[in-house]
Amino acid sequence: MRTTTRVSAVLAAVLTLGALPAMAQSANISATATVFQAITVTGANTLAFGNVFPGVAKTVGAATGGANAGRFDLTGQASTAVQLTFTLPGNLTSGANNLPIGTWTGCTNPTNTQAGCTAFTPSGAPSASAFSAANALFVFVGATVTPAANQAAGNYTGTITLTANY
Amino acid sequence: MSKCFRLLPLLALCLVARPLAGQSSVTGMQNLAFGIVIRGVPNSVTPNDAVRRGRFYVKHILNHQIGLRFTLPTQLARVGGGGNLPISFGATDGIAQGTAGSSVPVTFNPHNNQTFNLVTSADFNVYLGGRVSPAANQATGNYTGTITLTCTFF
Repeated sequence: MRTTTRVSAVLAAVLTLGALPAMAQSANISATATVFQAITVTGANTLAFGNVFPGVAKTVGAATGGANAGRFDLTGQASTAVQLTFTLPGNLTSGANNLPIGTWTGCTNPTNTQAGCTAFTPSGAPSASAFSAANALFVFVGATVTPAANQAAGNYTGTITLTANY
Repeated sequence: MSKCFRLLPLLALCLVARPLAGQSSVTGMQNLAFGIVIRGVPNSVTPNDAVRRGRFYVKHILNHQIGLRFTLPTQLARVGGGGNLPISFGATDGIAQGTAGSSVPVTFNPHNNQTFNLVTSADFNVYLGGRVSPAANQATGNYTGTITLTCTFF
């Protein structure tokens, strides 16, 4: 009688375990996104050296060049950081002739003025800046041209490209 | 008495064969993070994007089966209210891969229920990609939604 009882208990345990449903378990993660307004970049003012003379370097400062400084006008997400990356020419060209350009200077301001702007060095590496609370950023650019003593006369041009990313 | 001893191995087999509490689990490890998206510009995250993909970690028993079922949002809600951001999941946005070096990743449609046999690993990761499609006039701000993975342990 005692043995029979034990066997029945074991058998009942086996049957109970066998009848268990499969175990289910859940876990959560989040999907997240931050929506910003698109960045716009407008080339607003040409970096203009005016007349230069053979053998005489000429500089237009980003912060001091006034209307001759180059300027880009940007709009973007208010009060948000932005990375500024430049593609800069090493020469201005006039047909087959080159006019070396370098020693780039830059300056940013949340308003359209060079006074009190924040200096940086434009280059292919990103420079950090930020949009104002009014979604604006103004970027001023300067440089130095270095004509050779025998520099050919003519009109020289080059392209400065600014790429802005969050 | 002798019958009892004959049944004990059977009982032991049953205990080993059933998933035990704590032995099998699913854990949310990493959010599906789209980061910054621009109004009017769809943004996708692939399940191979180690930084932005979602990830769950699942642990069970070698040579057992496991069922996976996602509950996926169709919109993310703007934090603080004021709009929803459509989100979608494609046929190749799910990847399951065992943690063993020899495990081969399995690509699957997260909209469909899946059943896997755990042959090479008792634990594995489930990776999830997706796509958000902000409207041109989408309200700026932070959006969030919940992704649930339900595992059935056989």
